[in-house]
Amino acid sequence: MKSYLMLVHSYLKAHSKKTRLAVISVAMSVALVTGMFSMVDVFLRFEKLQVIYTYGNYHLAVKDASDEEASIIRNRIDVRNAGRWKDLGIGQINGADCRLGALDEVFAGNMNIEVLQGNFPREKNEVMLEKWAAERLFQGAETGNLVRIAFEDNTEKKFIVSGIYNDLGKMKAEGVPGVMMSASGTEGITDVRQNLFFVEFKSKVRINRAVAEIKGELDIADDRIGLNTHLLSVIGQSEHKAAVGLYTIGAVLFTLVLIAGVVMIYNTFNISVMERVRQFGLLRCVGASKAQIKRLVRKEGLAIALRAIPPGIALGMLMALVCSAILKFYNNTIFGEIPLFSISIAGILLGIAIGFLTVFMASLVPAKKAAGVSPVNAVSGSNEMKISKTVKKGFLSKLMRLEIAMGMNSAFMKKKTLFLMACSIALSIIMFLGFNVFIDFMHTSLKTTKPNTPDISLVSEKGMGEEIFERLSGLDGVKRIYGRKLAYVNASFDVSRLRETYKKSFGEIKTESNGLFVPPEKSWLISYDENQFRWAKPDLLEGELSAARMNEENGVIAVAQNLRNNITTETVGFKLGDKVYIDTPTGKKELTVMGILRQVPFNSQELTLTAFVVTEKVFSDTMGETGFKVIDIQLKNRKDERTVGILKSMAGDGINLLDVRQKNSEINQLFLTMAVFVYGFVAVIAIISILNIINTMNTSVVSKTRYLGVMRAIGMSGRQLNSMVLTEAATYSVIGSAAGAIIGSLLQKILIMNYLSSFNIKWRFPLFQIAIILVLVSTVTVFSVISPLKRIREKGITEIVNSL
Amino acid sequence: MEILRAENLSKTYGKGETRVEALKNASFSIEKGEFISIVGPSGSGKSTLLNLIGALDNPTSGKVFLNGRYIFDIKEEELAVFRRRNIGFVFQAYNLIPELNVEENIVLPLLLDYKKPDKEYIDELLNTLGLTERRHHLPNQLSGGQQQRVAIGRALAAKPAVILADEPTGNLDSRNSRDVIDLMKLSVDKYRQTLLMITHNENYAAYGDRVFRVEDGIVAELGGGVR
Repeated sequence: MKSYLMLVHSYLKAHSKKTRLAVISVAMSVALVTGMFSMVDVFLRFEKLQVIYTYGNYHLAVKDASDEEASIIRNRIDVRNAGRWKDLGIGQINGADCRLGALDEVFAGNMNIEVLQGNFPREKNEVMLEKWAAERLFQGAETGNLVRIAFEDNTEKKFIVSGIYNDLGKMKAEGVPGVMMSASGTEGITDVRQNLFFVEFKSKVRINRAVAEIKGELDIADDRIGLNTHLLSVIGQSEHKAAVGLYTIGAVLFTLVLIAGVVMIYNTFNISVMERVRQFGLLRCVGASKAQIKRLVRKEGLAIALRAIPPGIALGMLMALVCSAILKFYNNTIFGEIPLFSISIAGILLGIAIGFLTVFMASLVPAKKAAGVSPVNAVSGSNEMKISKTVKKGFLSKLMRLEIAMGMNSAFMKKKTLFLMACSIALSIIMFLGFNVFIDFMHTSLKTTKPNTPDISLVSEKGMGEEIFERLSGLDGVKRIYGRKLAYVNASFDVSRLRETYKKSFGEIKTESNGLFVPPEKSWLISYDENQFRWAKPDLLEGELSAARMNEENGVIAVAQNLRNNITTETVGFKLGDKVYIDTPTGKKELTVMGILRQVPFNSQELTLTAFVVTEKVFSDTMGETGFKVIDIQLKNRKDERTVGILKSMAGDGINLLDVRQKNSEINQLFLTMAVFVYGFVAVIAIISILNIINTMNTSVVSKTRYLGVMRAIGMSGRQLNSMVLTEAATYSVIGSAAGAIIGSLLQKILIMNYLSSFNIKWRFPLFQIAIILVLVSTVTVFSVISPLKRIREKGITEIVNSL
Repeated sequence: MEILRAENLSKTYGKGETRVEALKNASFSIEKGEFISIVGPSGSGKSTLLNLIGALDNPTSGKVFLNGRYIFDIKEEELAVFRRRNIGFVFQAYNLIPELNVEENIVLPLLLDYKKPDKEYIDELLNTLGLTERRHHLPNQLSGGQQQRVAIGRALAAKPAVILADEPTGNLDSRNSRDVIDLMKLSVDKYRQTLLMITHNENYAAYGDRVFRVEDGIVAELGGGVR
């Protein structure tokens, strides 16, 4: 031993068990901090690519920019790329509907347009077609072919196909292909729906400031400026209210993570150093000065930090790695440029900083305490713990069994330990509940495919008969088919059911002599089959969805939400049992409202008064025999192109085929990218919290080894010992859980009400989450106490009592 | 009446080179109400002997009968009950429960047995030990001598068959030591308790009705020869 500080290493070695617990605790906290921050860092990188893929890689869009404005903006030093996009509305190509547009070639990459074959159109008479359209609509149009294009103003011109570009999911799902013209080709066209000049700034440019500059210099009005808020949000530059709300939530929650990291480490240190006050006293006896003791404790902290930080960092990086791996495995085309081992320097530095800082801080207080121990007390073996100076009266054992009373007593007597233990548990729960806010956000702001989402839809204005249905059912690759009959009908009912806002928008609504009002708009009548009723169950607000009863009693299901001009409203407030009268060729038919649905998963193209869902039988009874307007098809295997080929051959002759698969998978992809990280955050917090509870409980039991030995010598039985220690642990858990649940719920409420109201998210008491937490915490508590206790009980009493 | 009997009690620690024979074939018998002093140099096996009698440790061979009951085949759970009813410990380092006050520490063995403490007896005990004034104090508010008196009270509370004291005065100055020994002697006489006490101090050893000397693991009765 060259220096007294070597004692640290001897001590840590001699008490390998305690050392290991302390190291684990610090490593866990470092892993938590590193993991969470690395995940955010990596998440933003992934999300940026995802947003670029979904919404395009531009920051600013200037409406109707003149060529002069465009050229000034393009030549700014902070602009990386810019290009013009013109939407020329719906046209017809060789007689079929198409969407006409023109995009500058330099900006095609930014908007995810990729030329698969041939060239980007450059000449006046060149166009480029979307791949699926080229295949399907023109029986394999190739570059060099001639096509006729009719514009909205009914002029028609001939064009040469110069190239084929990639499929766009949204266009494919709508069944209207995109046709891209050259910039020069649009010159003569005045009927332009939209003329946008897209701008991509260089990285690290303060975009809002740059946009303000551009607006100022070129005197561009606010309504001509559009920002890609999704992209700005992801790169942290959005000033949009919703984005700022999310930033605030992120800041609050990640501060919480930092605090949790600090408290977890402090807690373990408090337990492990405090119990050794006696050892430090002994050192004082042999002549150690106070300063030396402090240095010793700090050195010990350092030694532990040095051992704990590398594995902590590694574990944290592993968490981010798992998330990247999942996403890269799922879709390597979008995320190809992100390396699998993406390292977040910020996350690692923060982990190291928190590790060292907290260990340093955490050892300050115990070091002071240790230095303050009087050598006399240390030798006499008393005064291992400072407790209140007041005289203690009364004993809980009058109310409950002794071992339980003692367990609670020892928890409550050590106020600081109680506080730290409870804090550590509470913080975990607060974090868990806090991060759950992101799950709510994700589910409401992003849609994902549902069981009722079709892969392919067949749509026909004139209706499809049973024979098509039969043919479809006969196909091998088809999993499920379900059709809908649709009609716009005049429906009337008690006028008092109409909402005031709706009535006002029509001025006055006339009422006939029979008491029914004259409907100002038609209503949408929809037929469902068994499957569709089953899928609608989660949206049922009132009543029931029984096809049999509806058939028997002429039932109808009202739909509460009505999408009007892209705004969800409620036009009618039905009650169960209301009568609805529908005009039919044979007179008025009376139907009874038997249920109310929140919404239907598709929207009418026309404005309607409201929508009603009925069974196919009631539909036919009311409207006579009509075919299906829509037949939705789900495939056994989404990539089964052979079956899709057969379906395509059935299309034509007034039947339109909509391929929704690409759009579905893009929607799912968008959701998945966020879900992986959001659930990742919650999972990391849950795992670290559980390990933290196990570790601190373990530490607290191990630190009481001698005390428990004395209890056994006096005659406490194993069972009593178990329940005493469990009671103490449970006291920490119960107080921590209660505090955590209350504060966590409040935090959720505050975050949601203040920052997420723009997403229509409502706060509900997180009963289910709290139930999970309670089950988890109590199970973990029991398990984390039982095993060290068992080890202690297996040791001989003399071994424990004399070991000091 | 014989209350404690040891037969050929042996204890060996370790194996091979580190093998230590801490106790070799100890046999003796103790009558109820006797005060036995155990003396011997450090490491002679005194504490091992006491631990074995107190069923805190298992012997390598040999038997101990307490109140006629063979104690080494009692199962762990039952042993705890047996211990709190039949054996009282007084440790050198007191080992009081720091969160419990004086009175609670004393009645603890009774409470562990879910018995209601006999108030008169406890008051009397507190009085005898001179702790009546301090009954609500916590251990860290007491002097070493007072703490050891609490430990004696705790050992006496359940009126056990024997009290085992391992150098009860080891941490105390001479005045406090004398008090403690006096009290132990007094208690043995007053409550007709049986006491086995390890001590280094020849003077205190003389308080005993008999004195055992342990040397190199061999137990001999001073003035009585090996039994």
